Amino acid sequence: MSITLTKEKITATVKIITEYGGTGIFKCVQCGACSAVCPSIKAGFPVLCRLLIKKLLIGQLEEIIEEPSSWACQACCRCSEVCPQGVKPQEVVFAFRRFQANELAISTASTTSLIDLHATGHAAHTTTYRELRAGVGLPEQPPTTVSDAKGLQEVQTILENCLMGELGFY
Amino acid sequence: MVKYGLFLGCNIPFKAPDIEQSMRKVFPPLGVEPVDMVGASCCPAWGTAPSFDKGTWCALSCRNMAIAEELGVNIMTGCNSCFGILSEAKHFMHDPEVAEEAHELLAKAGRTYTGSADVYHITHVLHRDIGTEKIAAAVKFRQDGLTVAVQAGCHVLWPTDAMAIKEENPFFPHMLKDLVEATGASAPHYSRIEACCGMGGMRTTSVDKSMKILAAKLRSMKEEINPDLIVTGCSSCYMQFDQSQEQLRASGEIDFTIPVLYYTQFLALAMGFDPAQVAAISAMDRSALIAEIQNPARAVQEV
Ligand code: SF4
Ligand code: SF4
Repeated sequence: MSITLTKEKITATVKIITEYGGTGIFKCVQCGACSAVCPSIKAGFPVLCRLLIKKLLIGQLEEIIEEPSSWACQACCRCSEVCPQGVKPQEVVFAFRRFQANELAISTASTTSLIDLHATGHAAHTTTYRELRAGVGLPEQPPTTVSDAKGLQEVQTILENCLMGELGFY
Repeated sequence: MVKYGLFLGCNIPFKAPDIEQSMRKVFPPLGVEPVDMVGASCCPAWGTAPSFDKGTWCALSCRNMAIAEELGVNIMTGCNSCFGILSEAKHFMHDPEVAEEAHELLAKAGRTYTGSADVYHITHVLHRDIGTEKIAAAVKFRQDGLTVAVQAGCHVLWPTDAMAIKEENPFFPHMLKDLVEATGASAPHYSRIEACCGMGGMRTTSVDKSMKILAAKLRSMKEEINPDLIVTGCSSCYMQFDQSQEQLRASGEIDFTIPVLYYTQFLALAMGFDPAQVAAISAMDRSALIAEIQNPARAVQEV
């Protein structure tokens, strides 16, 4: 199956990626330096770095919306460090991920962390922490939003007023 | 005493509070006072706001940094993800569009961010402010003869343009190695020293793929330097090494296991603190290692 290249699709895709933060995408010369150092590509998630940029630059966006590779990006920024063109591929990956997320193409794990973040101020919240903390001689509650109502209120205000607030997770 | 806001994040206070306790124990005798950042939240984690909207990410990170600003202190954190998230948010606040959105959200929450607090990883504070000589002098049990595989973790190494303190060459990091060697132990180079452990988004997306690169890293350590233990500078790497090795052994991917400690746990033990407080929670049995670290024969003779 061949891919039809249209100027409109390419322009629209680059515009969306740029708006979500992948502003360097046009500077890519497809050298592959980024892919060579990417741990997630090594682990078997191919659509990152050079290949993701290639797909986006030919206007593939909706076509790859279910692609899991972007969620396996470690945000390690090895790619951005070595890119000779200043593309900052990690920011392109995250821009694409933001496109997916805002179209609700996300995993249940992300949904749970968002609900926890809103409810407690912590994305990785547990129910057993009090005993663990007391066991090592610490106060049962850490001095964070779990024990500070004002701080939690502030976090909730930000989450309820931001763009994510409209997506209906919490 | 120099004060630093101790940014806890999520994993350390909830899942590995013995790491939190080890940080609270080692810093004061070294002349650094960790100050509580009351009301701090998640940094926010990569899979949350940073995956949706840069402005929201920056607002949440800047609210955390504003707490330190009010206290008049810089920030130190033991979690590499928190370090990366806060450092990059600070960096992105130079982008006027992102900053505008973040400032608006912060104003609604009644907070102001000025950018006056620097963000450091605890290894930065240990390496730059305290220094290896002072650490060596504080050690009560010398670790000579122990071989350590160090794991600095990704977010403390890259991207260097967002960090106040950086390695000369992040692909050949040496800060954690220096800190480990200050105890008398040796921390030789191994070929995958900078490689990712596979935790984070990779593990959430595919446990199998994450475990494969962890196994490759472990084999590199074992075959090249045969370490007595792994010391990590990242709490997430720590959890990956601690929680996954037994599974890898059961599935035949590796035929050994290597006990693991977070750096301040290792240092706290070498400084003589109680293992029941500073190294008490782990999936792997590391009692023999802890006994060896605090072996009376290693005690420094008072002169
Ligand atoms: S290193 Fe930079 S220029 Fe080369 S392929 Fe990657 S993003 Fe493109
Ligand atoms: S930031 Fe993501 S895409 Fe870039 S090298 Fe790291 S894992 Fe790969």
